[in-house]
Amino acid sequence: MADAVSVGVNLDAFSHAISGIQALRSSVSRVFESLKDGMKNRDSLEGREKLFLAEFQDHLQAVNRDLSELERLSGLVGRPSESHPLHNSGLLSLDPVQDKTPLYSQLLQAYKWSNKLQYHAGLASSLLNQQSLKRSANQMGASAKRRPKVQPSTLVLPPHYVDDVISRIGRMFPDMNIELFRPNGTSAVLLVTLGKVLKAIVVMRSLFIDRTIVRGFNENIYSDDGKLDLWTKSQYQVFQKVTDHATTALLHYQLPQMPDVVVRSFMTWLRSYMKLFQASCQRCGRFLQEGLPPTWRDFRTLEASHDTCRM
Amino acid sequence: MGVATDTETVCHVPVAEGKSVQQTVDIVHKKLEQLGAVKHGSFCVDCETYHATGNASGQPSKLLYVMHNSETPLSCMALFEGGPCLIADANFDVLMVKLKSHFQNAKGHKVECRGSRYRYCDFLIKVGTVTMSSSARGISVEVEYCPCIVPGDCWNLMKEFMLSFLGTNVPELPSVFAAKPEGLFAPADCVDTMTQYLELFNKLRKLQISGSNVR
Repeated sequence: MADAVSVGVNLDAFSHAISGIQALRSSVSRVFESLKDGMKNRDSLEGREKLFLAEFQDHLQAVNRDLSELERLSGLVGRPSESHPLHNSGLLSLDPVQDKTPLYSQLLQAYKWSNKLQYHAGLASSLLNQQSLKRSANQMGASAKRRPKVQPSTLVLPPHYVDDVISRIGRMFPDMNIELFRPNGTSAVLLVTLGKVLKAIVVMRSLFIDRTIVRGFNENIYSDDGKLDLWTKSQYQVFQKVTDHATTALLHYQLPQMPDVVVRSFMTWLRSYMKLFQASCQRCGRFLQEGLPPTWRDFRTLEASHDTCRM
Repeated sequence: MGVATDTETVCHVPVAEGKSVQQTVDIVHKKLEQLGAVKHGSFCVDCETYHATGNASGQPSKLLYVMHNSETPLSCMALFEGGPCLIADANFDVLMVKLKSHFQNAKGHKVECRGSRYRYCDFLIKVGTVTMSSSARGISVEVEYCPCIVPGDCWNLMKEFMLSFLGTNVPELPSVFAAKPEGLFAPADCVDTMTQYLELFNKLRKLQISGSNVR
């Protein structure tokens, strides 16, 4: 009940304050109105000046008066009460027409629910982090942990840090040429040229790999307007298959706390395609299977096998 | 159509015993179709031979081969025997007529190779009949693995593929590639392919002289 009374007082002060603001606005606009009209329509030059100045002074004083009145009123309004656990939204409970707008009870439900969600998400994240580099464990759904929401802060790494990590990885693999572009804003796009075998475009979000596309060494990587072509898929079936596998690898390598390790593991894996056309399948021993060379590389051993042989 | 910049090999398939050239071609077609290859148009490679005349120094006159390939319809390749080669516009033929006093067309030496193209995954296969002075002399098979530009890298893979439809007639790595340090099939270079065709034509011509394996 006490709450309701204080709110009532507050409301009174609010309405006074609002009319105070209105008064202030109208007096300010009067000042400009008279300034706009200037000194015309007066008889003598001296009289004109005198009258104008007096009028202007009056108007300014009115503004001053209204302003101090408003300041006094704002003191009365005071700060919103913070005693309620739900802050201002707690005031919803005062709404007398509960049946028509059950907002407050819904709000409480949502609050409880989000609390629970946060708790469970915390548990899940600590469980998942125990599985070193795996983004997708076999028995669990992959999509649920696709995005590392646990640490949104790693999404805003400074660009020069990303540059640094990439150039360090580039130095680790001399047979792999990594070029870094920033065609749109701060997100980096890597062009990886692997020997004379393939070219891969890797789109990054800070240090997380967003998507990748693999094309042949002799295929175009720039579109007609000279920009990197991030979308057209390779005309060769073998590189379409490799693109699919690279996307699988993106989902597999995952360690939110150390995104640079993920990028390095992915590059190590990609580098195993150096012998794409030279390696025979480790399972069946043949080179071709349905017209395609062994396009699959094991995530841990990097050994080559056909897509159909790896099962 | 762009110039192929990938690994190709051209090889000669001996005519099966007791079969005509056409019958052997049909057998190869059938094997390819069984494998799952899809027919994809036709192709033609031709070659004319010119003798260099008016050789003042008295050296034996060199041969000049002028070749066309339907894969590059706007160009014309001129290959000197064991010497440099040239890729020119298609109207190079007209120039050759003007150069009659220096290069004489060896009549009756025109070789032509026509046939069908097949596609199987990233492979391009061309099976052609080689004709000299309007009689079929032999069969050519050209296999191209488009995604790979280093012939040495994918040679085993191509060999396995050719084994699947040519049986035992699988060739060795073409000498044009073996000679190159990196074995790279140079971009915009159809000369390697034409050199291989030329070798094949010359081989068939010699076979004709010795009189074996030809019907």
